Amino acid sequence: MKKIMHILFLSCFKATELIEKNFHIKLSITEKLQLKMHKIMCKACTNYEKHSILIEDSLNLPIHKHESSINFEEFKVKITEKINNLD
Amino acid sequence: MQAEEKSLTYWVDTFTEDLFSWAFQKVSDIELAKDLVQDTFLAASEKIDSFKGDSSPKTWLFSILNHKIIDFYRKKGNKHVSLDSSSFTNFFTDDGSWQSNKQPENWDEEDGHLLDNSDFQRILQKCIELLPDKWNSSIKLKYLMNKNSNDICQELDITSSNYWQIMHRAKLQLRNCIDVSWFKAG
Repeated sequence: MKKIMHILFLSCFKATELIEKNFHIKLSITEKLQLKMHKIMCKACTNYEKHSILIEDSLNLPIHKHESSINFEEFKVKITEKINNLD
Repeated sequence: MQAEEKSLTYWVDTFTEDLFSWAFQKVSDIELAKDLVQDTFLAASEKIDSFKGDSSPKTWLFSILNHKIIDFYRKKGNKHVSLDSSSFTNFFTDDGSWQSNKQPENWDEEDGHLLDNSDFQRILQKCIELLPDKWNSSIKLKYLMNKNSNDICQELDITSSNYWQIMHRAKLQLRNCIDVSWFKAG
């Protein structure tokens, strides 16, 4: 029974793979339908998708930290010295 | 030559902050970002004759820097990493169902506030660093460099189906790491 379910509505492994694929390219109509049916029956994969979207959004945030702790004037002098030493 | 030297010093003075800021966003490591910026200026000074002024100096410098960043990840990603079965069996049973103790459960805070939470961002960064190199590089090229999947496959010398497996497994690991270090910690 489980086997038939997996063929019709995907295994959790396949379902999570489609969830990831969906972020990057368009799923086919069959894939969409399979994923939808799978999620209706599977709480774990529904949770997985929510988490994955949250991670996706976090990864897309720019990071701004530590920049203030850089002494840029010193750094610029160092770079300029290096360049001059090249010649 | 005199004029060119002058302009390079002027560029260092003018663009260092922007270049650093960009590099830092991409590699999230201060010393590494500084090295990349310095290498960018050194490379610029070596091939300044090839700078024709078709683009602005800033665009030219940024393109050199981007090459340096991609090079860094390519080297890192080229270390051999096998997609061994353990990453599969860690999470799924043989028939592709979730391991009972790995089933994703509801996360308490999913209303978007986590995105502003710097502690959460730190955990996420830590979890990314814990990924194997090739996975780590794929994630960083994808999200930090905004590369499309074709470019990433080329740069890391992997097939597109290999890429999907990597992204999928990287995400499974990442989700699990966040689950353990953030939602189930303390």
